Amino acid sequence: MSAGPLAIPSVAARRGAARMSAVSLALWTVRFLVVALVVAGTIGTILKDRYTTAQWFEFVLFGLTIGSLYAQVALGYTMVYGVLRLINFAHGDIMMCGAFAGYFVATPLENSGFLEVHPVLGMAAILAAGMVVSGVIAVLTERIAYRPFRRVQGFAPLICAFGVSFFLEQTFRGLFGSSVKSYPAPKWEGVEFHWAGLSVPGVDLLVIVLAVAFMAVLYLIVQKTRMGMAMRAVSEDGEAAALMGVDVGKVIVFTFALGGAMAGIAGVFYAFLFKQVYFYMGFTPGIKAFGGAVLGGIGSVPGAMLGGFFLGLVESVGPSLFLDGIGIKAPYELRDVIAYTLMILVLVFRPQGILGEHMAKKRA
Amino acid sequence: MALLELSDVQVFYDKIEALKGISLSVEAGRIATLVGANGAGKSTTLRAVSGLIHPRAGTIRYDGTTLAGRQPHEITAMGLVQVPEGRRIFGRLTVDENLAMGAFTRHDRRGIAEDRERLLQLFPRLRERLHQVAGTLSGGEQQMVATARALMARPSMLLMDEPSMGLAPMLVEQVFETIRAINADGVTILLVEQNALMALSIADHGYVLESGRIVLSGPGRDLLDDERVRHAYLG
Repeated sequence: MSAGPLAIPSVAARRGAARMSAVSLALWTVRFLVVALVVAGTIGTILKDRYTTAQWFEFVLFGLTIGSLYAQVALGYTMVYGVLRLINFAHGDIMMCGAFAGYFVATPLENSGFLEVHPVLGMAAILAAGMVVSGVIAVLTERIAYRPFRRVQGFAPLICAFGVSFFLEQTFRGLFGSSVKSYPAPKWEGVEFHWAGLSVPGVDLLVIVLAVAFMAVLYLIVQKTRMGMAMRAVSEDGEAAALMGVDVGKVIVFTFALGGAMAGIAGVFYAFLFKQVYFYMGFTPGIKAFGGAVLGGIGSVPGAMLGGFFLGLVESVGPSLFLDGIGIKAPYELRDVIAYTLMILVLVFRPQGILGEHMAKKRA
Repeated sequence: MALLELSDVQVFYDKIEALKGISLSVEAGRIATLVGANGAGKSTTLRAVSGLIHPRAGTIRYDGTTLAGRQPHEITAMGLVQVPEGRRIFGRLTVDENLAMGAFTRHDRRGIAEDRERLLQLFPRLRERLHQVAGTLSGGEQQMVATARALMARPSMLLMDEPSMGLAPMLVEQVFETIRAINADGVTILLVEQNALMALSIADHGYVLESGRIVLSGPGRDLLDDERVRHAYLG
């Protein structure tokens, strides 16, 4: 709100102030209610004592597993936002492309028995396929759909991103049908580790460890390489970076390739975990991962990782922890509600996220 | 010989004519300055030279070749480097990373290391803050980062946009001393300034810009003594 001319009497200002305080009163009420709900629900659940330690451990482990996938996909949202100030709405579908690529490599490998005998080589080939296909499609979408808008302000690029999302979904549907394909399940994935009365599924462990390893590599690329440094510089001030001799177009392509490859890996893991591949599978995890990126502070690379894990944990542990306690039946059905509520609350109360900076801060 | 030459350059923002046909030239090894009021078109001129905006008409030649159609990063790679208005350092990168960004177009590792060392001797304050995030530095220190970053490119010519803006008077003196020192090292300079007095007193040649047109030009000393300039800019 800008200050009006001095001549306007202070009544208007006072009325404005009153309105502001009414709004902030409402917002504080919402904050209070959310905290009260979470605390009451948690206490209720603890008193009821319905879940065993092993079950809690399972919730946390699953939260970390799904969170590691959200984190990987969130990285693509946050990096593209950084260099282009664009919400790449099609990023979830880029993940779907990687899942399909993995499926088409995994199926013959499993049928021929190769995946059973050589799990490491087989997984490497599947992941490579996911990475390459998603990376290439991400770069193509930039080239065809986003580059023409590079100097355009307003909503056109965002609307185009919606278009790309539908285009990818419908193209995959047209090419490979709308049925849900079942992803192969090699025998070795049934391995479970037991420790102190807790059981750890090998698949979860594999996904978490590999996802963290790939994210560590990405973080090193962003922090330590010349291209990574250029990317951070462009995120902060594209024009100044260009004046330093950075080819901004090249940096943008690099960003899409990196984010796309990461989403491809996540797609393979997602299919591996849920055993399903279909054209619409990227939508929900895409939105969740976007929520994770917002939660961590969009534009921040560590923020996206943190936000993704946090969202995964909240949606996995949250239903039992604070919805069960207030007497909601089948709380697990509401986990998506928790995830989206969290996203809305962050946008309203802390738009800069956990690690992000104020987007409103402007340069001279 | 003129290192940079603009002839009849016209720039439009939508339908507004920001530069109405500007001609100027900067001799190799000299300091030229462009002075004028806010909105006269000083920054626009530098933006056009750096390729950030494209003139509708006229030519810009650097070292004998035309800059038409070249991208900003290509122009920087030619040794024509701009220190933009408001410094525009990378606040979330460390001081050291800012310097590395300055040398982005170079690949001679040893030369880059030597220049870094030389600049850290010139600005000892930056050595103390080398691994600090640049956004936490004071205004004067940020100006040092901006200048050092530009010099890391080992430019043959520097375009400086309002380097004294927002600095305390004592620091302003320092900035102009630094500009002189850089020029003494053989770097040609085109300086844009609102502080006409300081700018004209160190410049070999000055141009006075008024709403998109050059209204006066001549040796810096002469402009400083010119009645019209004194009246309009020096009070």
